Amino acid sequence: MKNNMENNSKNINRRKFLGAGVLAGIGVAGASAILSSCSKKLDNAALGLPPILKGAPRGRKLKAGLVGAGNRGTGAAINFISAGPDLEIIALADVFQDKIDNCRKRFESFNLPIPAENCFVGFDAYKKLMAMPEIDVVICATPPHFRPEHFLEAVKNKKHCFLEKPVCVDPVGARLMIATAKKAEALGLCVVTGTQRRHQEDYIETYKQVANGAIGKLVSAKAFWNQEHVWFRMREEGWNDMEYMIRNWNNFCWLCGDHILDTHVHNIDVINWFMGKHPEKAIGYGGRARRVTGDQYDFFSIDYDYGNGVSSHSMCRELDSCANGTGELINGTEGYTNCINTIWNLDGSVKWKFEYPKDENGNTMNTIKISPYVQEHMHLVHAIRTGRYVNEAERTALSTLTAIMGRTAAYTGQMITWDAIMKSDMDLGPRKIEFGPVDMVFDTPLPGTPAHV
Amino acid sequence: MNIKNFVLRVINGSKARIWIMTFGALLCLVVIGIFNTVSTTTSSDSYCMSCHIHPWAEQTWKLGPHHNNRTGVSVHCVECHLPPKGEGYLLAKAKHGAIDVYGYLFKDSSKLNWESKKLLDNAKGFTYEKSCIKCHSNLFPVTLSVNGSNAHLAYINAKEDPKPNCINCHLNVGHFDKNVKHEHDTNFGVDAALSQEKFTSATKVDKFESFTEKIPGTTVAFDMVAIPEGIFNMGSPDNEPLRKPDEGPVHKVKVSKFWMGKIEVSWNEYLAFFQATASQGRTEGQIIVNKNVDAVTGPTPPWGAPDQGWGKGSRPAITMSWRAANTYCEWLSKVTGKKYRLPTEAEWEYACRGNTTTPYFFEGDPKKFSSKGIFKKIFGPDTTTISSHIVYLVNSASKTQDPGSVKANPFGLKNMAGNIAEFCSDFYSPDAYKTGVPFVVNPKGPESGTEHVIRGGSFKSDAKDVRSAARDFTKTQAWLLTDPQMPKSIWWYSDCIDNGFRVVCEADSIK
Repeated sequence: MKNNMENNSKNINRRKFLGAGVLAGIGVAGASAILSSCSKKLDNAALGLPPILKGAPRGRKLKAGLVGAGNRGTGAAINFISAGPDLEIIALADVFQDKIDNCRKRFESFNLPIPAENCFVGFDAYKKLMAMPEIDVVICATPPHFRPEHFLEAVKNKKHCFLEKPVCVDPVGARLMIATAKKAEALGLCVVTGTQRRHQEDYIETYKQVANGAIGKLVSAKAFWNQEHVWFRMREEGWNDMEYMIRNWNNFCWLCGDHILDTHVHNIDVINWFMGKHPEKAIGYGGRARRVTGDQYDFFSIDYDYGNGVSSHSMCRELDSCANGTGELINGTEGYTNCINTIWNLDGSVKWKFEYPKDENGNTMNTIKISPYVQEHMHLVHAIRTGRYVNEAERTALSTLTAIMGRTAAYTGQMITWDAIMKSDMDLGPRKIEFGPVDMVFDTPLPGTPAHV
Repeated sequence: MNIKNFVLRVINGSKARIWIMTFGALLCLVVIGIFNTVSTTTSSDSYCMSCHIHPWAEQTWKLGPHHNNRTGVSVHCVECHLPPKGEGYLLAKAKHGAIDVYGYLFKDSSKLNWESKKLLDNAKGFTYEKSCIKCHSNLFPVTLSVNGSNAHLAYINAKEDPKPNCINCHLNVGHFDKNVKHEHDTNFGVDAALSQEKFTSATKVDKFESFTEKIPGTTVAFDMVAIPEGIFNMGSPDNEPLRKPDEGPVHKVKVSKFWMGKIEVSWNEYLAFFQATASQGRTEGQIIVNKNVDAVTGPTPPWGAPDQGWGKGSRPAITMSWRAANTYCEWLSKVTGKKYRLPTEAEWEYACRGNTTTPYFFEGDPKKFSSKGIFKKIFGPDTTTISSHIVYLVNSASKTQDPGSVKANPFGLKNMAGNIAEFCSDFYSPDAYKTGVPFVVNPKGPESGTEHVIRGGSFKSDAKDVRSAARDFTKTQAWLLTDPQMPKSIWWYSDCIDNGFRVVCEADSIK
């Protein structure tokens, strides 16, 4: 053995030396790679997080069309053009002329007029808009009932998409959404959804802390969206059934999905995000106390079971003069977090806090500088212009389906499993979407009675 | 200079090393070249088809979408029947090649059961899912329908066991089969109505003996055999060859008299029920609250061809669900005024044995009949006696057979074992016999459970699984694996082609 080694060292020639040197080099590189992966915390890209941008990058001019020109739609369109240079809204689609008119006025007031010939009215307006070859991006902001078919039409027409949340109201819509998301991915079309917490720097930094083990293993959570009553409209003379329901869409389950989807889906989405999965089943309850119109509930309380003893309490309420508040809380084995900016140790002392920027006077602000509603459009434009692909449609569909599972648990009083809701043929709304009388019954769901799951 | 000198110089000369290395390199190139040529040649369509001359291989490939399509792309034999290159291609080529060479040298290709190769379970053995995915890497093309999307979502979300394979749904895309329909068959059974005179009433039965039942309003009649009351040993003794533990312990069972269908419920019989009760156009899984409580709500139109294109008539009806079989009995009871139902497991085994206590209701050793084991593979199993009584793996041509093809058992019943497996009314439990009670009267099985007993084995079964005591059970989830509907059908199994049932009639149906 000794001889052998000596022999080697004495007769070392150039080739052998080279080989040994290369091997040593590989060894050092490999070791450093292993070391760095141990010590270095995972960054945004590795965690599937969007970059934090001060504005969308320059690039080819992007022309967008807005489908659903109401309040949120107009807001989203303004958010889009605020995201960076060379972004335009060139077309509108809505079922009502007055919504189009109001939206056009807003854009005229910015000196960014939208040509009248690019404005379409009616239930098929979205098809006409999406057929326009000059449009690159479609912003879908109608009531969520229509989202899946609008998304499919947009993908068929090879448009990048911004989709407002929630992205569907029933499991049939959720499956269409997921399948269409995959079709979009196959075509390289970028999709961002209006789950703005996922684009908010404070949430993102808190998530990174948790993903890197700041609170240990996650053991339980709660999510809450408790607020005053929301808007509703009484029926006006001359409105047929369909017009009334769409003008009052926020109060009909087939159009809105109930407020556990409409607003609470934000909190549910955050819990799914931090947990890294969707729940396995849901049990819960809810009821209607003070609503004036429609067929929805005023409050929900749902226990989402994530398996292995981990569950999340989800509650949402729309009632005046009650204890209100919105947010999330996740408990881990080594601490807990509000998901937005703070991590506490188990004894209640603060372990980490997100550093908000300072204003002109040098005082620390209590929010981030760039509105997350604009930040999400920066991400979309960034992805389109840089080729760093993004597609959030499937995960938002899964969070929406999580909310649907909770809603169904409350409406029926039954325990609803993920498999059952994923396979359900629940398909809300009238078969035919047209103005006129609608032959539907709008009983408020009564738990404990047979229900269609 | 002669060759010898040259060789010596090459080996011993000062430039020997260079010569040898050059020669070695050349040899390597030649070997690689030959290997490549051989590999390419033996992977060509014409080479494959020089042996695979069975009638449907080339023709059906040419008619199918992997050759006959609008893109003009032709997909060749090895692109489906071997894994992709670099993913086990050569190993699989060697394996299949060895089997092919063996078959070429020692087997008569005209005597091979080519029909059975088309069956899903067999096709999985020589069709590589990796190869499907290699080309079909995009499971969500923008033109995919909603049903297709749902099916592909189910595929990618499927957990292990049962995990669907591409060819679970796309079995016939490689080789065209005109019998396969990819749609709801809303005309199913409609054209079976004959112009013959229809029975106006059911057979009147006033004493306990065999009779021919007539289904009123149809031209369909079938034989019912009177089975006398008796006591028998249920299950198989520990020393019975190839038994399974769920067949024991052997215990004494008394069974009251009853009538049993001479043959398995045939397509003629089942279609009479289908035509009378079919719920056309109704959504699957919807429970209809019918104001007319006397009406029986029957199956929805089936998907594709439930008879697998093998023909209907007196062949046994297959692919209906356990629930559908029960609904059939309910309907038959209503139209005949008698009490029809599925047999209990005890009634079934009693009727199958026909007072025999041996593994089969005829002479024979399961070990000799079974095709399992290396020696059987080479020398073949003993098929005398069993082949005249049972339609099973060896003699079935991988499909159901007309009951005329076999001999009856001692009670005069046909196809109790083999042809198709038969539903019983009992829930299945492997411990069903382990009650500790040595003597039971008319047992009805466990009080609760999820799957039901099936008995008798089928045309797919090995000889060991068509023994009188052999037990099996329904596999609802696996049998609905590829049903594209949500929720899945409660009337038809999409993924089970060898199960049906036989009716019994209760003795107190005597009027």
